[in-house]
Amino acid sequence: MRSLSIAATGMMAQQTNVEVISNNIANLSTTGFKRRRAEFQDLIYQNIRRAGAQSSEAGTVLPSGAQVGLGVRTSAIYRISEQGNLQQTENRFDMAIRGNGYFQVTLPSGETGFTRDGTFGLSAEGQMVTAEGYTVLPGITIPATARDVTINASGEVLIKLDGQTALSNVGQVQLAIFANEGGLDAVGGNMFLATPSSGAAQQAAPGQAGYGQVMQGFIETSNVNVVQEITSLITAQRAYEMNSKVITASDEMLSTLTRLR
Amino acid sequence: MDTPGYVILSRLTVQNRATAVLANNVANADTPGFRAQRMVFAEMVERGRDVAGPPSLRRTAYVQDRATWREMESGSIAQTGNPLDVAISGEGFFAVETPRGERFTRAGRFSIGAEGRIVDIEGNTVLGTSGQPLAVAPGDARIEILGDGTIRSENGPIGRLRVVRFENPQALLAEGDRNFDPSAERPIPVEQPGLVQGAVEGSNVRPIMEMTRLTAELREFQFATQFAERENDRLQSVIDRVLRRRS
Repeated sequence: MRSLSIAATGMMAQQTNVEVISNNIANLSTTGFKRRRAEFQDLIYQNIRRAGAQSSEAGTVLPSGAQVGLGVRTSAIYRISEQGNLQQTENRFDMAIRGNGYFQVTLPSGETGFTRDGTFGLSAEGQMVTAEGYTVLPGITIPATARDVTINASGEVLIKLDGQTALSNVGQVQLAIFANEGGLDAVGGNMFLATPSSGAAQQAAPGQAGYGQVMQGFIETSNVNVVQEITSLITAQRAYEMNSKVITASDEMLSTLTRLR
Repeated sequence: MDTPGYVILSRLTVQNRATAVLANNVANADTPGFRAQRMVFAEMVERGRDVAGPPSLRRTAYVQDRATWREMESGSIAQTGNPLDVAISGEGFFAVETPRGERFTRAGRFSIGAEGRIVDIEGNTVLGTSGQPLAVAPGDARIEILGDGTIRSENGPIGRLRVVRFENPQALLAEGDRNFDPSAERPIPVEQPGLVQGAVEGSNVRPIMEMTRLTAELREFQFATQFAERENDRLQSVIDRVLRRRS
């Protein structure tokens, strides 16, 4: 009974699907989280009769073959990089990207990490760092004497010093974009690394063509849509159930056979 | 005299394989670009011995699983938002270069691989109209795919996706990994394939159909088994009667 093992592959695939959906729901309020989706692929086929084989001595040819597929497997789990909602936090170092791009961060390993999570603050030295304390590139230091900090849409950090009327520019946040965002490698902690599939990071200031704008005092919420996730969960559950129905039916066929006198 | 037993055995054998085809459809209800398959049954006629009576009495028809037939209607197109996802809204297949040769697929889930080449989910190179790989330059960030398959970025054109159709798509061999082997069929280029960027075509499996068919197949299987059982009873009673007459 091939149908037993075929339906089993279907159940395993749907289980992966539910795992991915539950991870999405668990990250419903993770800043800058991008939802994921499991992707499936058909397994190999067995040819009972090959298409194009001769069906008689007169040279007639079969118009189509007889093929039995052997099930399904998970081929990829990919990210959907849709814009999340923006949420006001009133924190003056928080930044959200409206549009394309990632903030660049130096990881403890020395590599450059990419993130959409703009929950930033200051280190003891006055450097702009992430919630984990990693330096935000290109390394902006805000002097302790600064009274007010403004970050404009193009990422320029402007501070107001005592006794000065004009704002002084202490640096500009840079964004990175990729030819294929889906190819970025998620390493946890809202952080991504570049891979050969994503292509090299293209850096520029926010607001330039192809780059998003920076919004001070906002963070980007997760792009998980609960309604959508629950709908996919129901679909996955039903698909799982259907596969188990196939198993039950195959089992019933086998049991009829064994009851045969 | 034991022919009915063999006729019903042929029915049970093909029913078993038909259920495997159905199970594969259900398992792939979520596979992009998947095409549902059906088993086609045919009668296989054996010419009987010379007996008097109408011609139908002189033949025995066994059942045979002649072919699998592929449902070719489009699956639903779902938006994904990824710039390198492409769905074909009409007829046609994308061409990819695999180690086994050129293969065709409806699943337009592409990404960028080594050297900027556009590849499918298995890393196979996606081919352009003249059979060349399509490569994205390191500076290209915004990729646009037009309805006719033309790919361009902000730095200029990149190429055009090869989209082909077949005279007889039923003759294509499914190979797994969502690919089709063209076997003897010749690909014909499609001029206006009507591609949709940022979307992927789902599977065309209709769960209601599959579940209804599953119930029907189960009952037919049980029916055939019962027939085999009755046939056994009949033979037994014949044997009993013959023996009684002898004694």
